[in-house]
Amino acid sequence: MSDLAMTASVPPPRRRHLLPWLYLAPAILTLGLWIYWPLIDAFRLSFYEWNMLPTAEPKFVGWQNYENIFALQKFWQSLNNTVIYVVGLWPLAVLLPLAIAIYTHDLPRRSRNVYRAIIFVPLIIAPVVAAAVWRWLLDPRYGLVNEGIGTLGYRAVRFLQDPKIAIWTIIVLTGWKLIGFSTLILSAANANINPSLIEAARMDGATRWAVIRDVRLPLLRSTVLFLTLMTILLGAQWSFSYIQVLTGGGPLGATTNIFYILWDFGFSSLSVGWSSAAAVILFLGFGLLAFILFRLIDRYSFHDN
Amino acid sequence: MTIDSAVSAPLRSMPAASPRARAKGKGRATTAIAHLVMVILSIFCLFPVYWMVVSSLRPPNEIYDTSLWPTGASLDNYAYALKAIPIVRMLGNTLVVSTVVTIAQLITGLLAAYAFARWRFRGDKFVYTLVALTWLVPFQVVMIPDYLLVSNLGLLDSLSALILPHLAGALAILMLAQAMRSFPREVIEAARMDGARSWRILWEVIMPNLRGTIASLAILVFISTWNEYFWPLLLSRSPENSVIQIGIQMFMTSEGTAWGPLMAASTMASLPILFIYIVLQRQVVQSFMKSGIR
Repeated sequence: MSDLAMTASVPPPRRRHLLPWLYLAPAILTLGLWIYWPLIDAFRLSFYEWNMLPTAEPKFVGWQNYENIFALQKFWQSLNNTVIYVVGLWPLAVLLPLAIAIYTHDLPRRSRNVYRAIIFVPLIIAPVVAAAVWRWLLDPRYGLVNEGIGTLGYRAVRFLQDPKIAIWTIIVLTGWKLIGFSTLILSAANANINPSLIEAARMDGATRWAVIRDVRLPLLRSTVLFLTLMTILLGAQWSFSYIQVLTGGGPLGATTNIFYILWDFGFSSLSVGWSSAAAVILFLGFGLLAFILFRLIDRYSFHDN
Repeated sequence: MTIDSAVSAPLRSMPAASPRARAKGKGRATTAIAHLVMVILSIFCLFPVYWMVVSSLRPPNEIYDTSLWPTGASLDNYAYALKAIPIVRMLGNTLVVSTVVTIAQLITGLLAAYAFARWRFRGDKFVYTLVALTWLVPFQVVMIPDYLLVSNLGLLDSLSALILPHLAGALAILMLAQAMRSFPREVIEAARMDGARSWRILWEVIMPNLRGTIASLAILVFISTWNEYFWPLLLSRSPENSVIQIGIQMFMTSEGTAWGPLMAASTMASLPILFIYIVLQRQVVQSFMKSGIR
């Protein structure tokens, strides 16, 4: 794998030890200063009560912040919503793209390239821009979507104001950004399947569905697992900008998730301790989840090469 | 980075669709439905962007018009948006931040990747793992300490604060390290025989051969920095020292939204990215797919 590593040059031993670290220094300093040191600092701050004002002195409160957060209904609501975000996003980020990728496999290359160019666009549009445009499209009074609903004779839907609907709206908007990209990834993986395998299955008299079930899906398993993993770990994070711009976590906390609540505690309520305690909980939970998922993926993914 | 192997190969050589499936009559119906599915998906993906541009070009008194076609294009919304906030300045700031971050990440990435690829040293695996694990730390977790750091450095409301945390990025380091590992060692051997020092080997032998990876990374880093919202949101105080994403947000107030100017500002913020995409479409798609989801 790292054959280059063996070719270490022959300058005097001490310099040889120092040299790689010199090359690494800028990266290590940046990542250390802005990611790992702050992570440790977040642990420390989670035991203090402080409002971020330079004039106020941080006060040590022990586990108080954690106790307060666990007693807070809003916190459990945000955790619950985080699960809804992930579960709701999965069909849009994995299942639907999988179906589309398999179904459109036989399209001629020319048109497939055109579609591909188009469905990729949402991914490069800035989240704030996407939020602004969707806010306009979904406006209860003047938005195009509600105009359409009105023409059909139904009452306007308050997509972002109705506590029952708002979270699903945010999920669909997050999915809008991902669906084309996932479709491309899965199409690429699907096209990578050796055609002779499909041909052989057909020779054996397999139906179209049987080919999909017995040949394609097993071969796509690692890509599907990877996309699922990303959705579970990052799905709720992707929706942050939409929540921040469109609903502010409301109405009635209906769209808050664990990432948003950190921001809410920290920069709306100016409670450093609460935000840091929630950050520590998030980080540990997130890490544990990632560890378990990677273990599972290692066991169940299909290694065809 | 698991996705890399699954994706990069087929992108280059998509096998043509099996002719047998297309020749049959039943196949033709399936193809028609497949087209339909893709057309619907395409409209879903592209229409909001189209609607943004169309709305931005409507005369202000026709902003609530719902005709799908622009009627009587006008630049009034643009004029209004440009007067309301310093958009040109903000676009300039965004360009500066994105360009500096892109170049910085490429340089720090090349240096770090070279260290990993070229030498075995005590702690190399550990440091590499730490770099790879940075994505496990969501930005929201470190935002307060980062914010305090910026504030202690006296850099609130400055462009340098937007740049500093991004001077190095895990993605750049890992992608470059991967690319360097597959670099033929004979070439480096030969350069070393000729007496080249490690510094010169990096810039004169290795770097010119990594052009593809470097271009991919440049596209990725530039676009994601251009679109970044959260970090500027924490830091910005005055519009003059902020980026365009914050400018867009300024048109959405609790009192009501100026839809026309909002769409005009959004269009202006997206144009540079859309321009890059139209010119370099293939490369952009490949870069994103190679890197997995960001």
